[in-house]
Amino acid sequence: MNAIEVKNLNFSYDGKPVIRDISFTLKEGEFAGVIGPNGAGKSTLLRLLSRILDIQQGEIIVQGQKIRELDRRSLARAIGFVPQETHFTLDFTVADIVLMGRYPYLRPFQAESVGDREIMEQALAEAEVAEFKNRPVNSLSSGERQRVVIARALCQQPKILLLDEPTSHLDLRHQTGIMNLLKKLNGQGISIVIVNHDLNLAALYCRRLILLDRGTIRSDGTPTELIDEKLLKEVYQSEVRVIRHPDHDLPQVLLK
Amino acid sequence: MSKTTLVVALLAVAVAAAIFIGPAALSADVLQIRLNRVILGIFAGGILGFCGAILQGLFNNPLVEPYTLGSASGAALGAALGIVTIGFLNPLFAFAGSLGVGLLVFVIARSHAGALQDRLILAGVIMSFLCSSLVMIIMVMSGRELYEILYLLMGYLGVIMNPGQRVIAIAILVLSLAIVIYLYRHHRELDILSQGAETASGLGVDTHRLSRNLFFATALLTGFVVSLVGAIGFVGLVIPHIAKRLFGPKHLRNLPASFILGAAFLLLADTLSRTITVYELPVGVVTSLIGVPFFIYLYSKR
Repeated sequence: MNAIEVKNLNFSYDGKPVIRDISFTLKEGEFAGVIGPNGAGKSTLLRLLSRILDIQQGEIIVQGQKIRELDRRSLARAIGFVPQETHFTLDFTVADIVLMGRYPYLRPFQAESVGDREIMEQALAEAEVAEFKNRPVNSLSSGERQRVVIARALCQQPKILLLDEPTSHLDLRHQTGIMNLLKKLNGQGISIVIVNHDLNLAALYCRRLILLDRGTIRSDGTPTELIDEKLLKEVYQSEVRVIRHPDHDLPQVLLK
Repeated sequence: MSKTTLVVALLAVAVAAAIFIGPAALSADVLQIRLNRVILGIFAGGILGFCGAILQGLFNNPLVEPYTLGSASGAALGAALGIVTIGFLNPLFAFAGSLGVGLLVFVIARSHAGALQDRLILAGVIMSFLCSSLVMIIMVMSGRELYEILYLLMGYLGVIMNPGQRVIAIAILVLSLAIVIYLYRHHRELDILSQGAETASGLGVDTHRLSRNLFFATALLTGFVVSLVGAIGFVGLVIPHIAKRLFGPKHLRNLPASFILGAAFLLLADTLSRTITVYELPVGVVTSLIGVPFFIYLYSKR
């Protein structure tokens, strides 16, 4: 089955088109990266897929159901969303935050069950933050906090994870840590769409790349097909060189 | 002693003080009057504390309270208009004011792009200023009603009601309780909103609908409070902070705590207001006079 189908999607902010006639299909189990220059519409696309923004024109079909006809809680059971950065304004513990991922399954005043707590523990272990369980989330480093947010998304038990530049504020160790975690989750059958500015990281981990340029899909394919000097120069308007990674047979981008 | 017991005990002490302390000896008539004050005090203090906690959670902003969003000022404007036109504090005028201004704030906020929540705060603050100016004009032009408007603006629990007004007041209390329960149902959404609207949407919260519903429900409650006891400040701002410090960030716990603490605080302030001087001070003055130093103490301890 297809995880997500996007058909002729258009979206504009205050009359300014940001997404123009985008169509693509994400199959179950894919690991796709959305790349492109600033303002290409990457984050908007992700917000439309997770219904943070309501679609204006076109259609998004999530696991066979039109997104407009799904209620928000059902959608949150299918799709987990990880924003670029989360500010925690109240003093919740890590366990509190992750348990909030059960929201789409709970009615008002319904206490979290033993089952819900088990799912929380699993998500904590999966994202390797179990040791921080009882700590205030604000006492963690930004890399650890990002893992907590991923754990919260896992607590939704989603089939699809959408991540908006989840590694952009992190150092090298945490970048690879997060990407390896996503790879592991993908291996367990969760489809992943990640917006990423770091072309090299995207090329190493994503098996499919979708290159956006000014609101349209410029190219869609494997990293090897897509990471191309001429294409990148045109889209990013900068001179680059593409080489092969010495350890993995994958393209990497160097600035000229 | 657990914190819950402590807070409930505090309310019990406040109720006892409100009934037994005062210049007059406790007769049946005096008891009746003081019980009235106790009921009004629990209602007004509880609702202001509760609404403050709801709004601070909804807007993810520790400075928001019913007064920030225009509904209290609108209710005061409506009530003041009622006093000069028909001669007494009429609840209908206060509702009309709070809902009218609330609606206006909402329409202004919605007509712009961007986060609805930020716009609501801005529009609310602006409309509050406008309402205050209009109340000033009414005060300048009023004659002997000036005194009554002054008490309306600072709050007064000692209202004496005729049987007709009493029926309206009871209806308001019942309706308010229903709205409070409706609002409390959203405790989990408020927890989630502390991580931002985007995260909340991603978890399945309809943030626009939630903002709209909670905004109007609190505006209505504020209108109810002002219509019965006037515009009592400070409770809605400070009590939620104290409740959060005592009971933590989970709204499941700090919302009821805000209600009980608000009720206890207002009752104690009211008992003080009618006993420390030969005049009866407006209770809104006393809430600030004892609330501000306490608040500063609380924050300097951190």
